[in-house]
Amino acid sequence: MRYVSLALQYRVGIILGLTLIVSAMLVPGYVSATTLSLGLDRAATIGLIAIGLTVLLIAGQIDLSAGSVFALAGIVSIMLQPQLGILPAAAAGVVVGMVAGAINGALVVGLKVHSLVLTLATMLIFRSIAHWITDSQPVTGTDIMFSLALAQIYLDVFTVRSALFVAFILLLHFWLTRTIPGRNVFAVGSNAVAAEESGIASGRILFFGFVFAGTLAGLAGVLQSLVTNTGSPVFGSTLIVTVIAAVVVGGTRIEGGKGSALGTLGGVLTIGALTVAMEFQSVPAYVQQVVSGFILILLVVLDRTVNTRRKAAADRPAFVQGNPIKQGGSA
Amino acid sequence: MIEKRNLLYVAAAAMLASTGLAHAKTVCYVNAADSHAYATPANEALQERAKELKIEILSLSQDFDVQKGTEQLNTCVARGVDGIILWPLDPQAYIPGLARAQQAEIPAILINSPMGEEAKPFVTSFTGPDVYEEGEMAADALNEALGGEGSVVIIAGQAGNGTTIGRVGGFEDRLKEISSGIEVLDTVNADFDQQKALVVSRDLITRFGDDLDGVYANDDTMARGFIDAWKEANPSKPTPPIVGINGQKDAFESIRTGEMHATIVQSPVEDGRLAIETMARILDGEEVKDRLPIPLTVVTKENVESVEPAF
Repeated sequence: MRYVSLALQYRVGIILGLTLIVSAMLVPGYVSATTLSLGLDRAATIGLIAIGLTVLLIAGQIDLSAGSVFALAGIVSIMLQPQLGILPAAAAGVVVGMVAGAINGALVVGLKVHSLVLTLATMLIFRSIAHWITDSQPVTGTDIMFSLALAQIYLDVFTVRSALFVAFILLLHFWLTRTIPGRNVFAVGSNAVAAEESGIASGRILFFGFVFAGTLAGLAGVLQSLVTNTGSPVFGSTLIVTVIAAVVVGGTRIEGGKGSALGTLGGVLTIGALTVAMEFQSVPAYVQQVVSGFILILLVVLDRTVNTRRKAAADRPAFVQGNPIKQGGSA
Repeated sequence: MIEKRNLLYVAAAAMLASTGLAHAKTVCYVNAADSHAYATPANEALQERAKELKIEILSLSQDFDVQKGTEQLNTCVARGVDGIILWPLDPQAYIPGLARAQQAEIPAILINSPMGEEAKPFVTSFTGPDVYEEGEMAADALNEALGGEGSVVIIAGQAGNGTTIGRVGGFEDRLKEISSGIEVLDTVNADFDQQKALVVSRDLITRFGDDLDGVYANDDTMARGFIDAWKEANPSKPTPPIVGINGQKDAFESIRTGEMHATIVQSPVEDGRLAIETMARILDGEEVKDRLPIPLTVVTKENVESVEPAF
């Protein structure tokens, strides 16, 4: 029984491991440094946005506008290149993400609107602005050589993007588990009122949660645009669904109060590994979505099992927990 | 004895070489979409021809999402395929992916749509319709129908779109080249959309009325839009000569009934086939041209029964 609950606790890791083992056996050429590095590079786009979303989901909020912010930040970073140069323009793109996040945060906290509705609205608004400033046409950057350099693989494994992703997710893990503000995010997500009453400024935490998520979506968008030397108003239009899936697969609860950075890392890698494996086998795009959907359901059901089990234990009176009464010989 | 052993070596070497040859080549095909009026028949034709050529196809669908396509190029490289056929949806975004492929010594070609100048060093060839030539052919067809004089309007596709630029440019240049007496009254964009074409056509018919001698639409769906607008305005009058492009089934019907004068067939089947055949030649070590157009056919009442519609 103990092994079962241990397995359930590390279910993301186990599913990732299973995905990798099965893929390695069935898909020729899957196990190689190139696959790893390119798969990781690909996962990094989803991953960077997922980092921001993990914090928001733990705090009990959601940001649907991340895909639009992704596109808008990328466009700005490309459009300003002739005036500012590549790196300042890239910084401006990230700032756009930050501002978009601040708008989301200010509106959610200030107007007390549910973030699902509010970010649905800003998703449409940011996307439309992206179309508006580009006339719905892709915009092209000034220096393709820079893009080629950015897409380079270092140490056989990392691109700039994937290295940033891995570094950030480790930092997030540290922040969520070892610092007080990190732990306060969980408190706000479990019960905002109770958190407020125990002296946590939950409004401020939520606001900065949105700023953080916006900034990372912006960063991901800027990196994507720099690597492709293109800013496009249609970039990232279906991204947010995959990102939410990755975060939830990683064990972060959509209801808030529970989640982890390493879980998200596992979720992102699982989805990435699965996509690459299925693409290697030329599985049609719609079948891929069906498989991802089933894995999501499976993990959510497992999540429920773990929680009801724990809850059942916690619901018992304290003396029973510590000293379980054996009934009819069964434990 | 020694000879015998040598013979054995030779036989072994020959066997190794033949298994090497028999090993099927794999080509990564990053297509525009799995289900689309033009793309689907092109994809199917490519797959079918690949089977005949004993080439394995790794088919990845972008679903009209450029970002997905740029990532799928990575999958192709990681998979270590022998060649890449890309259906580009953007003039630039695929370049780093194509550069990676080049680094890995995987030849890449473009199907159907061109990319920008910067992409040229990274692709071996571009197979697909010559949209400029389509414009020229449309000009010839309309010039012939009007006997070399009259006033026409152009219903163009999307502003700034490569296909639109080619189809309008080819048309205008060709009229000048043959010093035709045809005058273009106006060029309006209707984004390859039947409904938009209907709306702009109503305006054109009101503005120019009886001065309108002919119409050139950048594709058949927009030609359809004009026909509908004309029928609203003049229920009893026959339509002026209309020339469209693409060779859709309903355009063939309109040519039969005399509502349209001509269309130009750009076959998705040819499009798909030419791409894989070109790739097969590259894999065999042949030199190929950097631009290979697919055949185009002008369809009028004379040959409408003998030509297959494109889709």
